[in-house]
Amino acid sequence: MTQDIITGSGVSKVYATATGPLVALDDVSFGIREGEFISLVGPSGCGKSTLLSILGGLEDKSLGRLEIDGREIDRPRADVGMMFQTPVLFPWRTIRENVRLPGEILRLNKTEQKARTEELLEMVGLSGFGDRYPGELSGGMRQRVGLARLLAHDPKVLMMDEPFGALDEFTRETMNIELLRIWEAMRKTVIFVTHNIGEAVFLSDRVFVMTPRPGRLEGIVEIDLPRPRTPEIMREARYGELVFQIRRMLGVDH
Amino acid sequence: MTDTAPIHAPPSDRQGDAIARFMESERRRTRRELWTNRLLALGFGLFVLALWAIATHGGFVHKLIIPTPLATLEAAGRVSAADYFWPNVWVTLQEIFWGFVIGMAAGAFFGILVAMFAPVRATLYPYLVALQAPPKIVLAPIFVTWFGFDMESKIAISVVMCFFPMFLNTLTGLSAVDPNAIKLMRSLTASRWQTFRHLLLPNAAPIMMAGVKLCWTLAVLGVIVGEFVGASAGIGYLIYAMNFQLDIPAVFFLIILLSVFTLIVYQVIEWLEGRVIFWNSL
Ligand SMILES: Nc1ncnc2c1ncn2[C@@H]1O[C@H](COP(=O)(O)OP(=O)(O)OP(=O)(O)O)[C@@H](O)[C@H]1O
Ligand SMILES: [Mg+2]
Repeated sequence: MTQDIITGSGVSKVYATATGPLVALDDVSFGIREGEFISLVGPSGCGKSTLLSILGGLEDKSLGRLEIDGREIDRPRADVGMMFQTPVLFPWRTIRENVRLPGEILRLNKTEQKARTEELLEMVGLSGFGDRYPGELSGGMRQRVGLARLLAHDPKVLMMDEPFGALDEFTRETMNIELLRIWEAMRKTVIFVTHNIGEAVFLSDRVFVMTPRPGRLEGIVEIDLPRPRTPEIMREARYGELVFQIRRMLGVDH
Repeated sequence: MTDTAPIHAPPSDRQGDAIARFMESERRRTRRELWTNRLLALGFGLFVLALWAIATHGGFVHKLIIPTPLATLEAAGRVSAADYFWPNVWVTLQEIFWGFVIGMAAGAFFGILVAMFAPVRATLYPYLVALQAPPKIVLAPIFVTWFGFDMESKIAISVVMCFFPMFLNTLTGLSAVDPNAIKLMRSLTASRWQTFRHLLLPNAAPIMMAGVKLCWTLAVLGVIVGEFVGASAGIGYLIYAMNFQLDIPAVFFLIILLSVFTLIVYQVIEWLEGRVIFWNSL
């Protein structure tokens, strides 16, 4: 196994609210290896989004150490890409122009970006849609555009906060399969937030199980299912065991 | 994959005919609706005109209070042929133009400044909001005293009238942004300028365009009020003078002229709006 690319030790986050301090994250420690697919699961309010925002440099932590590549995270980095529950496409840009946004912001080589955009659109199955506007696309298609944009500037860490949470069951599963296919091909480090346990087990190398009030890392579950994975894996006994184990850790089965 | 089929997949032959028929009937239906709506609007206009004619020609309303349509038409010919007419129109046009442009630009400029720079916001915002409260028309006499009877005072009133809607709409537009979009820009390490140019400004465009439309009608209003209060030229001045001479048909003509002009420019702005913010209709 490769070395840890992301390390957190004793990370805490306290919000000063009108009713007093609110501990959103309490003493969270972990290591993430390069190329690993990690899921954060846990009930609403356990601090998944907070942890991801801090990892992405969008928010400050209150205590602890958090490093990527041995450098303290204190601001957003161009080699960390973020994706949110809503696709946040700009309606005044075509699909192609949306995917080219990161390249424009980071002033990357235009010719390379142009070629890469077409490749990415192809990869997410939207090659014919480059000239359309987001308003003309379905929810699932929009998240595909979001996925293509996430990869546009080739970040080495991907942080995804329930990217498919707003999609219906079928589309969501399709998107998961595609995400896995893309990840198999690119082997980027992924941190994927979800509150769907099955989804987490299906996708991940390891699942970080979080519990709320205060937000704590309850445990880390190694997903020893073989890769590459197909949906058939969900029929296997080991899959069921892992899902059950995580449910127990979250206390949903007593 | 669920979404990857092309949007316009070729239909099978049997369906193809049915679809073509459906499209044709849809086209006919929208055309019919369009014409029905036009006829309704035109019909109502004619109805009002007829009411006007009956009320005045029939002697229900005294001619001095409301002139007949024919008298108004006659006044239109008379006034627009007079050699004082075009110079006065030209004065008003210039005043409206400068009031509109300067007021709009100043409103947008301060809106951007206040939205983008927290210290400016903290310093100016309370005053700008407080200044918005009094009706701006009360400034008209003072401005005439300050800037004189010429164009400057009318332009000044017009600018003040335009400023606030444009300022507030710019500020609102720049602030009404999806927090996730801001997070996206931050995660891409976008600079403030990049965030402004690529996200905030286009995002504010619809609300700013609404401000431009408000500005336009207020710019006209400001100029005319200014000309009422104190002027030696302009359409407002003419209306005031004609009214004083009890030439009511001429007054009616000038009011209609002004309304039609305001409306036409308004329509042009709306058309531009549709072009600028095309994505709103997607
Ligand atoms: N800006 C904030 N100010 C105050 N409290 C906050 C803020 N952001 C989050 N919190 C609190 O921190 C806790 C964790 O929030 P967070 O959004 O990280 O949860 P989550 O696990 O992502 O939940 P969900 O699954 O619903 O998205 C919650 O109790 C929330 O109320
Ligand atoms: Mg969340």
